[in-house]
Amino acid sequence: MSGQRLLQVKDLEVRFPIREGLIRERTVAEVRAVDGVSFEVAKGEILGLVGESGCGKSTVARAITRVVKPTHGSIEFDGHDLAKAEGEELHALRRRVQMIFQDPYASLNPRMTVGAIIQEPADIYKVGTTAERRARVSELLGLVGLDPRFADRYPHEFSGGQRQRIGVARALALNPDLVVADEPVSALDVSVQAQILNLLAELRQQLGLAYLFIAHDLSVVRHISDRTAVMYLGKIVEVAPSIELNAAPLHPYSIALLSAVPIPDPAIEKKRKRIILKGDVPSPTNPPSGCGFQTRCWLKEKLGNPERCSTESPVLRETSSGHQVACHFPEKA
Amino acid sequence: MTEKSATPVSAGHLLTVSDLTVRFRSHGEAVYAVNGVSFDLDAGETLGVAGESGCGKSVTNLAILGLLPQPAGRVEAGSVQLSGRELTTLREEELRKVRGSEIAMIFQDPMTSLNPVLRIEEQLIETIRAHRDVTVQAARERAIELLVAVGVANPESRLRSYPHEFSGGMRQRVMIAMALALEPRILIADEPTTALDVTIQAQVLDLLRRLTAERGTATILVTHDLGVLAGMADRINVMYAGKVIESGTTEELFAHPRHPYTVGLLRSIPRLDGEAGGKLVPIEGRPPDLVAEPVGCSFYARCAWRQERCALEAPALVQIDGGTQPIVTTGAGATHVAACFNPVAQAEVAEGRPAAGRR
Ligand SMILES: Nc1ncnc2c1ncn2[C@@H]1O[C@H](COP(=O)(O)OP(=O)(O)OP(=O)(O)O)[C@@H](O)[C@H]1O
Ligand SMILES: Nc1ncnc2c1ncn2[C@@H]1O[C@H](COP(=O)(O)OP(=O)(O)OP(=O)(O)O)[C@@H](O)[C@H]1O
Ligand code: SF4
Ligand SMILES: [Mg+2]
Ligand SMILES: [Mg+2]
Repeated sequence: MSGQRLLQVKDLEVRFPIREGLIRERTVAEVRAVDGVSFEVAKGEILGLVGESGCGKSTVARAITRVVKPTHGSIEFDGHDLAKAEGEELHALRRRVQMIFQDPYASLNPRMTVGAIIQEPADIYKVGTTAERRARVSELLGLVGLDPRFADRYPHEFSGGQRQRIGVARALALNPDLVVADEPVSALDVSVQAQILNLLAELRQQLGLAYLFIAHDLSVVRHISDRTAVMYLGKIVEVAPSIELNAAPLHPYSIALLSAVPIPDPAIEKKRKRIILKGDVPSPTNPPSGCGFQTRCWLKEKLGNPERCSTESPVLRETSSGHQVACHFPEKA
Repeated sequence: MTEKSATPVSAGHLLTVSDLTVRFRSHGEAVYAVNGVSFDLDAGETLGVAGESGCGKSVTNLAILGLLPQPAGRVEAGSVQLSGRELTTLREEELRKVRGSEIAMIFQDPMTSLNPVLRIEEQLIETIRAHRDVTVQAARERAIELLVAVGVANPESRLRSYPHEFSGGMRQRVMIAMALALEPRILIADEPTTALDVTIQAQVLDLLRRLTAERGTATILVTHDLGVLAGMADRINVMYAGKVIESGTTEELFAHPRHPYTVGLLRSIPRLDGEAGGKLVPIEGRPPDLVAEPVGCSFYARCAWRQERCALEAPALVQIDGGTQPIVTTGAGATHVAACFNPVAQAEVAEGRPAAGRR
């Protein structure tokens, strides 16, 4: 990270209890959805967060936007701890951290006009006069490339890409510093996905926004993010500038993940060496001992199954400036 | 059980789809879902089908298999021939024999072909015995072989499991096992890995590649992911608005795309090995609703290369540079064809836009 720090997440943990029993409910187990995650986002920076289904990406997003309360850890945002903030302080902070969702269909109230949807944050925070709020809606629609006259229409009248633009306009309504975008293009066709990715990149330039950009598609994340964090089973296993991560990944999981991403070029695909991981991701209810990746790790196998992998959880440490990895043997990969 | 029906094909192709036209009719409205699709397929080939949502990829395959939703969906014209035998006019019970034993299908959602209340064992054995005259014991042995082939560990005990006891990737493998149980000559895989994580996708694609190569199965692989096609397909049909708008070998299509839509698709996807921070060239607008009879080129409204003629006349799928060689429809020497009056020049491909002064 370079530049002024905006967000600093430290040792974030989110656990969900699994309860059983009808009359006397008791906690029988816990899902360790986020299991000790630390990262930073600078002002105006785009940090990408990638990882497979269930690794805890959305839960990180929901902790930062305080849809869920973290079990442990801190989320420093401009001198305040979002993890502990309540009441007035939380209300004021929430205004500055906005969210864009994956499903543009589900995230817009079908009974509200587009104008009312975009104006709602200003209504809640009582920003400006009624006339000013209306004018702001037109401005925002223009900003995201929609006709201001669309304000009187309803979400069902729009395509997926247009609805995603409406969601972006709403997220920008209060001039946030940080936008948490959880799979914002995953539900879109590629031609429309490109429109939205370009829009998000332009808005960052124009407004100096920072994004936490979550996606499972590494090509998309690499395209838009300055830095990329790779998550596996509730933990960040590697963080690096996006270009460096792609050119010289260090964690055996990142290496396998990158090798598995299809590249639209038959000549390259023919020559590629893929590392096919065996088995599935373990359950976050019952994570393996030691390193979370040890049950599928090709490097551990190659090194003759060193004991450390199954006894000691590797910490995220810096191997070179700005490049962090959580593996006991990254230099052997 | 491994005996195959003798194939008397001499001149024809394994599968020939010609001018296939499918409409859905309901509430007095028609959906022009598939509008004259033609292609051939030979044994051992993998034909990739690309295109965005709603362009008719799945409906084409459902029509081939005689599985169009009834009564709304109908093949209004065209034919589907499997080794010279017309499928569109077959009775349902004959079609049922074709499905599974000669043409099998795997879907994006494995639960559409797995029965949630039956153990894997019962489903596999039932499938095998419905088409082959073998004992339960022989069918069971075959089922175990299949699970081994798709990489399911402890197959004997896993046979006792219900589908929900498997992970997504495992279920997809079981579905592949089921599809390959009868050694079909054609496998239609419709977005088989779209719902899977990339490391699991890599496992499943690896499996498909290996099994179809071993058995010489012809495959139709539908996916919106051009990266997957680059690594899997021998040839590609690019579809738009219910038509094949460009077709050629995978190498040729990626190296020299000629249809503006194909170029648009290639330029809109971020590539892992692409230039960082580079700008994507999106295709403006969105695909047409298929509720009106298409007039002119269906890509006209979104096309940067369009000319007046394109609005009025529908371009035919032809050899673009008008070579003198006869058109080859299958195999490594397949002719590159595109349906466009003003095809993209090689120099324009990288930019994704027509050269200045071109319009
Ligand atoms: N409210 C909840 N109660 C219990 N478990 C939960 C809850 N929310 C999430 N989980 C579990 O926490 C883990 C992380 O889930 P999360 O949604 O953060 O993953 P993700 O990385 O966003 O996955 P995806 O790519 O599928 O969106 C999963 O195992 C999930 O089942
Ligand atoms: N049962 C149906 N009734 C009416 N129209 C239908 C029906 N099924 C499909 N269609 C229409 O037929 C067209 C082609 O659909 P199809 O499912 O083949 O698209 P596809 O290319 O497979 O898209 P996707 O990538 O989303 O799977 C679409 O316009 C669709 O809305
Ligand atoms: S610590 Fe061991 S198991 Fe974990 S990623 Fe590194 S080599 Fe693999
Ligand atoms: Mg998620
Ligand atoms: Mg489909």
